[in-house]
Amino acid sequence: MMPSMARTARTALVTLFTIFGFAGLAGAQTTSAGYIGSNVCKTCHADIWLNFYKNPHAISLASGKETPARTGCEGCHGPGQAHVEAGGGKDTIPRAFSLLAPKQVLETCLTCHAQDRSKANIQRSDHTLNNVVCTACHSIHRSPTPKYLLAKKQTDLCYSCHSAVRAQFELPSKHRVNEGFMQCTDCHNPHGTFAPTWRMAQRPPMVEQALGNKEACLKCHQDKGGPFVYQHPPVFIEGCETCHFPHGSTNARLLRRPVVFTLCLQCHNGAGSFGPRNSGETRLSPAHNLLEPRYQNCTTCHVRIHGSNSDFFFLR
Amino acid sequence: MAMRFYLLLASGVLYAQQVVAPTPDPVGPARGEDVGNYNVTNSFETGYRFALIGGDEAKYRSDVNYGNGIRLLGSSLSVNSKDGHGVFYDQILLNTLGLGNDPYQSVSLRVQKNGLYRYDMLWRLDDFYNPGLVGANLLDQMDTQRRLQDHDLTLFPQSQFKVRVGYSRNDLTGPALSSVQEFNSAGAVYPLFQNVRREWNEYRIGAEGEFAGFKFTVQHRWDFFKDDPVFSNAGGLTQFTRTNPYHGASPGWFGDLFTNRKRWGMNARMTYVGGEGNFALNELASGISAGAAATQQILISGNAQRPDLAGDLSLNFYPTDRLTLVNNTAVHNMRVVGDSNFIEFTNPTALSTSVNFEYMSVRTVANATDLNYRVTPWIGFYAGYHYSDRLINTIDGGAVTGPLRDFAYGRSNHLNAGVLGVQLRPIKPLTIRLNGEVGRDNQPLTPISQSSYHILGGRADYRTRQLQLSASYSQVYNVNSPSPLTPFSSHSRDYSANASWAPTDRFSLDASYTKLHLDTVSGLAFFAGDALQTFPTIYISNIHAGNFGAHLGLAPRVNLYVGYSITKDTGDGRGSAVLPEATGAVQTLFSSVQTFPLTYQSPLARLSIRITPKIRWNAGWQFYRYREEFGLVSFLQNYRAHTGYTSVLWSF
Repeated sequence: MMPSMARTARTALVTLFTIFGFAGLAGAQTTSAGYIGSNVCKTCHADIWLNFYKNPHAISLASGKETPARTGCEGCHGPGQAHVEAGGGKDTIPRAFSLLAPKQVLETCLTCHAQDRSKANIQRSDHTLNNVVCTACHSIHRSPTPKYLLAKKQTDLCYSCHSAVRAQFELPSKHRVNEGFMQCTDCHNPHGTFAPTWRMAQRPPMVEQALGNKEACLKCHQDKGGPFVYQHPPVFIEGCETCHFPHGSTNARLLRRPVVFTLCLQCHNGAGSFGPRNSGETRLSPAHNLLEPRYQNCTTCHVRIHGSNSDFFFLR
Repeated sequence: MAMRFYLLLASGVLYAQQVVAPTPDPVGPARGEDVGNYNVTNSFETGYRFALIGGDEAKYRSDVNYGNGIRLLGSSLSVNSKDGHGVFYDQILLNTLGLGNDPYQSVSLRVQKNGLYRYDMLWRLDDFYNPGLVGANLLDQMDTQRRLQDHDLTLFPQSQFKVRVGYSRNDLTGPALSSVQEFNSAGAVYPLFQNVRREWNEYRIGAEGEFAGFKFTVQHRWDFFKDDPVFSNAGGLTQFTRTNPYHGASPGWFGDLFTNRKRWGMNARMTYVGGEGNFALNELASGISAGAAATQQILISGNAQRPDLAGDLSLNFYPTDRLTLVNNTAVHNMRVVGDSNFIEFTNPTALSTSVNFEYMSVRTVANATDLNYRVTPWIGFYAGYHYSDRLINTIDGGAVTGPLRDFAYGRSNHLNAGVLGVQLRPIKPLTIRLNGEVGRDNQPLTPISQSSYHILGGRADYRTRQLQLSASYSQVYNVNSPSPLTPFSSHSRDYSANASWAPTDRFSLDASYTKLHLDTVSGLAFFAGDALQTFPTIYISNIHAGNFGAHLGLAPRVNLYVGYSITKDTGDGRGSAVLPEATGAVQTLFSSVQTFPLTYQSPLARLSIRITPKIRWNAGWQFYRYREEFGLVSFLQNYRAHTGYTSVLWSF
């Protein structure tokens, strides 16, 4: 289409829409605050409107109970009268998200979504602090995912920034995220979480605890959670990351070291004033000759290493 | 519009992980078909998957585990009412993955009626070989299955008063490492596998209400865990039986109060969980124990309780439109108490001992204040101060033999940390973020805990519709060396660079490179023979990871995707397990465990042809190759596997 023809067509459309739109507006809708109703918007934005009934935001339209400021197109984009009168243009949309500062985007979405408990900590989340706000991950009008209006499949979305994490999930031993068995949000809340209650409440960030304030790992690995008569303190004081890489590892069982004794003996060397007893972590007894292969894999005997009900040394 | 939608899907493929099936290429009209007052989209991808494996098949089944057979590789169903006023439902979403016999399967279902209810269900299965032992002839030869399911029903989801009911279940079946050990006549220990029967069930009910701008949530849950292994074996023993049931329950309460106003917001949370476990062990063994004839019976019974209380208070302030101030205080108190009774009969004398429970409690108080200020539209910064205080109390239980111990210990430590970050956006497509953190812990719990650490990071993103470039760097340095024996320090440095280019709808490229570096120095103490050795050891891992993907529209109906991923840990660069300068048995041993170089790579290709507007034929091939440079155990666990599939994707 020639540019002049395009201009003519656009002018004609805007004229038609202005006439009919305002005719409709004079009926059911109120213009007291510049709100014109979604029916006017769809005249030009038919491509968006066509599938909008599949969008979760259409639920508020269907209820018919919400005020124009809280529903339909203007619920998010603001009153559209000026936009109509100007014949279109992003600059005339009160809240055109591609033009908004990150904080404005966040505030607009939180107008409704602040009430969601999962977003209760969004103001202090690492994403918000780094200006990664709602529209960085969500595509309101063109989401290819069946739920949550994500801009991409969840793993692709997270990997697009967290490429080091993607590399970790491609290691031989890993949680099955790439295979579709798990998702990042099984452990993380991208909208921010309460302070973790392990590892001095600082790490890891944005990991969603289980209800009992257990570490996220114990949501699935309940058998490691106890309570046990004899707890292995790092498990529930310092967290599973003391010994494991949570995403992926070159070592079996996501361990931080390929051979077990090097992992255990880092702490169990008897030195300093470490450990709950302030006297250093228990050192190997002389009965353990480390040159013998059977003593090199500690968990061959200390099989209940996460906690035991019947043995102080986790042997049974 | 449709083309743009397809492009979005294709773009998703670019960042996608290297798993060849199911096919992400779309088929059929994205808008679906209208049936009465509903719109329906529906697709199924079914086909045959194959795997040809060479080398260590057990290791392959631990890492990958795709097999042969007919599969429903993926399916998707959506039903949406067009006016939002359906009779029984307004939306049904059903998505499946890998049904049939894939090792990774899932079903996701959502059914909802606007204003009345919303039901979400997620069922998942993970089938894998369990690497029973680590590092000593790995024994990746046992098939284990974990099944997870979650059900959540919300009544009146759009109203100011909601009711939530939920149920979750997690069960693990198949062999796992038991605590049973058998001895041969030389006294060597052999741990045994046994079938585990672990099951966890959780029931929950709660409500949410809104009043005067405040939202209140309350939830109660009951969860039950049981592990009922039974083992009987007479291999190296003349008789061995063991029953070791463990049944636990963790009833809990959750409460939350929330409000968000123009200039301030508040979120308060409290949880209480009273965990309890009841256990018993009855073991009877006769035969050889550590090389000598022995008969013993052990009886243990008791319970463990863990009351757990946590509270959080977050206060948000928005004094200006550019400034956000958030303060969070968290308190957590947990203690483990209970009783336990241990009775051991040995041959020829019987010994009976009661064991005091090992008491342990942890109390943590943490406070964090974060400030986020946007100076201009193109520059902003954040800063924060975080403080946490922890007190651990321990009262030792008694030993099996010998005098009972009854000592109380207390350990307190504090962590102070500061964070700082800057965000820059000099031009619209370009974003630069820099961040740093410094922390000090006055008395870390373990030699490898964070003690004196700093974190530095930065990333730059350039994003336009066709071209996306990014680069990032992150380092974490931690030093924890209060004594000469524990010169612990850990340095990790991650680098990455990504490029994604989609100039047309029919052609796109994606490439990335990541380097993950880790070096750790720590002090070990152990016995070699009769001599105590103190030995500093270093572990070095240098992982280079590369990804490449290309999506090509060869013809209007034909799409080709080729990809390649490689992960290579070069370790410390050595060519042999034992360094030439290592002398003596101890140095030889430690030299061989300081690095673990390997290569893991996976090229793939997928061809997808649209036969009709609603049918697409697909075929794919993916190769896995795992190669250890030198084995940590007595053999290399290397494998290679050709996997692939052919399928039909049908939309109707």
